[in-house]
Amino acid sequence: MRKTTRRTILKTAAAAATVAALPINANAQSGEPIRIGILTPLTGAGGNDGPRMLKAMTAVFDEVNKQGGVLGRRIETVVEDDQTNPEAAVRAARKLIEVNKVPMILGTWASAVTAAVAPVCWESKTFLMTVSGADSITLLPHQGFLIRTQPTSKLQATAHGEFMLSQGAKRVGIIGIQAPFALPNKEHLENTLKPKGAEVVSHVIYEKDKPTYRSEIDQMMRGKPDYIYTNGYAPDTVVLLRDLYRAGIDMPKFAQSYAVPQATLDTIPPEVSTKVYTGQPSADIESPAYKLAADRTGDKEPDGYVSQATDWASMAVLTIAKAKEASGVAMKDNVRKICQGSGQKVYSAVEGLKVLAEGKEINYEGASGPCDFTDIGDILGCRFRYMHVVKGKLEFLKLV
Amino acid sequence: MEHYLVAMGVTAGIYAMMALGMNVIWGKAGLINLGLVGFFAVGAYTSGLLTLRLGWPIPLGIAAGTLVASLVGVLVAMITVRLRGDYLAIVTLGFAETMRIVMSNELWIANGTDGLSGIPGPFRQALGPHLFNLQFLGIVTAATVILFFLVERLVNSPFGRVLRGIRDDEQVVQVAGKNVVTFKIKAFAFGTAALGLAGALYGHFTSFIAPDLFAPLLTLYVKLSLLAGGLGNSIGAVVGAVLVVFFLESTRFIIPLVPGISAVQGAALRELLIAVALLVVLRFYARGLVPESIPQPPLPTAPPEAAVAIERVR
Repeated sequence: MRKTTRRTILKTAAAAATVAALPINANAQSGEPIRIGILTPLTGAGGNDGPRMLKAMTAVFDEVNKQGGVLGRRIETVVEDDQTNPEAAVRAARKLIEVNKVPMILGTWASAVTAAVAPVCWESKTFLMTVSGADSITLLPHQGFLIRTQPTSKLQATAHGEFMLSQGAKRVGIIGIQAPFALPNKEHLENTLKPKGAEVVSHVIYEKDKPTYRSEIDQMMRGKPDYIYTNGYAPDTVVLLRDLYRAGIDMPKFAQSYAVPQATLDTIPPEVSTKVYTGQPSADIESPAYKLAADRTGDKEPDGYVSQATDWASMAVLTIAKAKEASGVAMKDNVRKICQGSGQKVYSAVEGLKVLAEGKEINYEGASGPCDFTDIGDILGCRFRYMHVVKGKLEFLKLV
Repeated sequence: MEHYLVAMGVTAGIYAMMALGMNVIWGKAGLINLGLVGFFAVGAYTSGLLTLRLGWPIPLGIAAGTLVASLVGVLVAMITVRLRGDYLAIVTLGFAETMRIVMSNELWIANGTDGLSGIPGPFRQALGPHLFNLQFLGIVTAATVILFFLVERLVNSPFGRVLRGIRDDEQVVQVAGKNVVTFKIKAFAFGTAALGLAGALYGHFTSFIAPDLFAPLLTLYVKLSLLAGGLGNSIGAVVGAVLVVFFLESTRFIIPLVPGISAVQGAALRELLIAVALLVVLRFYARGLVPESIPQPPLPTAPPEAAVAIERVR
């Protein structure tokens, strides 16, 4: 009896405290935790990138939880593996939505997976954030329940084209994986190179999971390029780089930063990776968001995926704080209120929460860029960070 | 939770239909078809394209998907008719991969790797997601039950006996005067029709299909269903499919309970568990959980009358 009484008193006290604390967004963590769904590839082709993205997101949530959570509630993540397979991903997404009742899912990677998961999300009013770059993704009838931090093919290819021009490229040979971004990338590159007197001399598409790309390389070399634009993922790009080295082809090679992470470079001899340049969407050079992401993950130069995952987690927290509720609809309606506009610039979730608590408007500037979105959920524009490989190590080159 | 169970029920139903189709080709006729996901894709794409691009009504699209998958099945059967065992397995696997690669690269057919999105589902808008799933569970269950009885009827008929004969000893069947080739093609036609039907239903259920969906992973899950349930047995096929989906899904809830592992290790552990489960089934239930029962010919209990008569004469 005594026990029950004490409990009752405690409960009443806790409830009273919560009610009293709610309007001023107290630091005390009480009430149900806010569950956020994370659906990244942990196995399959994306198994290289998913774990890094997961780590970046949990790092942000941990930081927020240490500072007292959001709306006085802890953030809890529910992680599922999308297996880089649309069928398995849909099953996982349904579990997150129907069983864990998550208001949002962060992290789909492959475009086919995102396109398969997106209808499940918007039908159940769940918000989705993704890195999938295919132009077709944001054209889906998602009713605002989707944003992506990855620049469109057009933004990326135009920037990459300009970078290669600045390096003196005249004849560009493209060799890349078959993916939704393959063809649009080529077209946008052509459009960028043509007016400047350069051209795309060959375009070869290869299948994933091949042990060698020697014949594809020969096919590409037939156009006599002076600059190679590789357009694949990490597992195939490393095969490609080895084969280019074996073939004795010694010319500059451009790759997406996620295709040549430092982890890959550590597994190949430095000769193989000479003259490799990488690019990734990025925030300003002096952007504290990028530095914070680097400190948080212990990764000296976080790549595009790690930066973007950092931004999802931060935007998720800030939107919940702004909307004062954690639901898919609230996410959809409020996400643009914290990441664009004339509010005070903030560079991390914790910082943003403090400014929001003061009742001010905020504008989150992320590690992957300014994080400003169009109505269909594409990012408006961003800078690009270029690195080059020196003796097997990625080094900063410039920011455009 | 119940909505999730409904959605998983639909998945299990679709797996069961594929397992039933496979059972006719592999379980009964003994033809190892590793290209099942290819026929599944044909059904899904045919119905998806017809309803999306030409505005066909959904039932007609599904029927067309079933039919076209069956026709492709006949074609593949005619090409591979002289192959058996491993050779047939590798060629059919090649067929499924070819389908996937063609659909990835020929953008004009169905948007390549972007896939087909917005495939209509019956009353999707009017019902809302939860009722729609429930309705679809009804459709898939009905289709599975009908298919189950069709397969049962087929394998218990003289036709089914010939298929079993081909599986056990092709030459004996040939000596008995049966045209083995026609029987094999017919088995393929029926089995791939079931695969096409499953594919068409899947497309209308999820509203999105893309070449990446038709990776060998799905083939392996259905194969696993058959091995676990019992090859050559319709009940086994359905039980196996339900078990595989149950197992795939329940591991999601078990893994987080294992202390001290990260999410990445959990994902790997999940795949390991599936592999171990298969090994355990193969080791201890080599013929599946519900083994095929082959009706024994009736044995005479008493000596035949003629023999008795002869005995008397002596």
